Amino acid sequence: MNNQEQNHQLRVYSDITQLIANPQNPTPLVRLNRINPNKNFQIYLKLERYNPFGSIKDRIVKEMLDVLDIGDRTVVEPSSGNTGIALTSVANAMGVPVEIAIPDKTPEEKKIMLKFLGAKVTEVDDALCPMFPSEGARGLVNALILSPATKDKYVSPNQYESALNVQAHYRATGPEIWQQTEGEVSYFFAGFGTCGTITGVGRYLKEQNPELKVVGVEPSTAEHKLPGMKRITGLSEEYIPKILDWSVIDELAEVSDEDAFLTAIELARKDGITVGPTTGAILNIALQYAEKHDGIAVVISPDDAFKYASFYREILEEESRKAGEGK
Amino acid sequence: MENTLDLSGFVCPLSKMKAAEAVDNMAEGDTLIIILGESESFKSVAQDLKTNDIVPTFKQESESRYILTVSR
Repeated sequence: MNNQEQNHQLRVYSDITQLIANPQNPTPLVRLNRINPNKNFQIYLKLERYNPFGSIKDRIVKEMLDVLDIGDRTVVEPSSGNTGIALTSVANAMGVPVEIAIPDKTPEEKKIMLKFLGAKVTEVDDALCPMFPSEGARGLVNALILSPATKDKYVSPNQYESALNVQAHYRATGPEIWQQTEGEVSYFFAGFGTCGTITGVGRYLKEQNPELKVVGVEPSTAEHKLPGMKRITGLSEEYIPKILDWSVIDELAEVSDEDAFLTAIELARKDGITVGPTTGAILNIALQYAEKHDGIAVVISPDDAFKYASFYREILEEESRKAGEGK
Repeated sequence: MENTLDLSGFVCPLSKMKAAEAVDNMAEGDTLIIILGESESFKSVAQDLKTNDIVPTFKQESESRYILTVSR
């Protein structure tokens, strides 16, 4: 047995990072059959939870860490959880220490996973830093990188500004979708966060088919419970992720927390697929398109439901309470 | 007891977080001298203290040296 080889057919790998998806080993694309009644607008979910560390962020982290000149410094990054989990996992495999600045409203499940992985976690109030309104975690990492007292001790991949974030999706996620749909994809739906996915995938798919529509989804309010998503509308130019390429985006749609969570729950109950609330948000918009359009749509599903059990619990308890009142 | 906390090497919000932690740990009768190295940190720390009903004395020694004195 050759220790250096990876074999996707036999599922044998010489290290965990080789499981990160690529066009030779894509994440699954699964058609939704019951939640979407329109057979002329087929919706496929791109299930990024099948990456080894459980989310779409696995793709960008390896790409960014591979070229980062870390030396004996600590890797630090702001994260609502998924990037932090991927970053810590890959860094552990490389023997590199990691610190994660995480918004205090992040689900407990993600905080526990980061600590389980051994990351030093600093919980940060979103309103901590006036330089990064509503994004205190970014402000803290920015300070660690810029402060004379700490700047030599830390290095950050900076997913908000790294071209490698876009490149990972342009080189892998986009080609996967094109191959998996045999070039028939006509709509692509993704959320706004760091904007690496929508820019990288959108750019690749539009190069293959300029007629393809890219729809970006954002929370309906700046304060929301959709970790990893960002409301771009109304944001001052300096706070919009620098990697966002507006030229690949055809339409922008917004969704409320409630609609996002309820759509995710409906998906689980109708199609048996358990997803995080950001998937619910993006899918909610795709389902609205299904009422008026024809074509083949791909919806990015960044992660699974399990990291958000504490968020879902509130809705499920409310549902139980209402069911009890109805008896 | 009088202590000095030199945060001149930290920019905001790191300076604000470290100052808040030190102020939280002050005992009755303590005095804390906080040295800050930039105006953003000075404004941020002073605002944070004000929010917590703490009124420090302050002195700007230069454009890169601000001194806040907090007494409990």
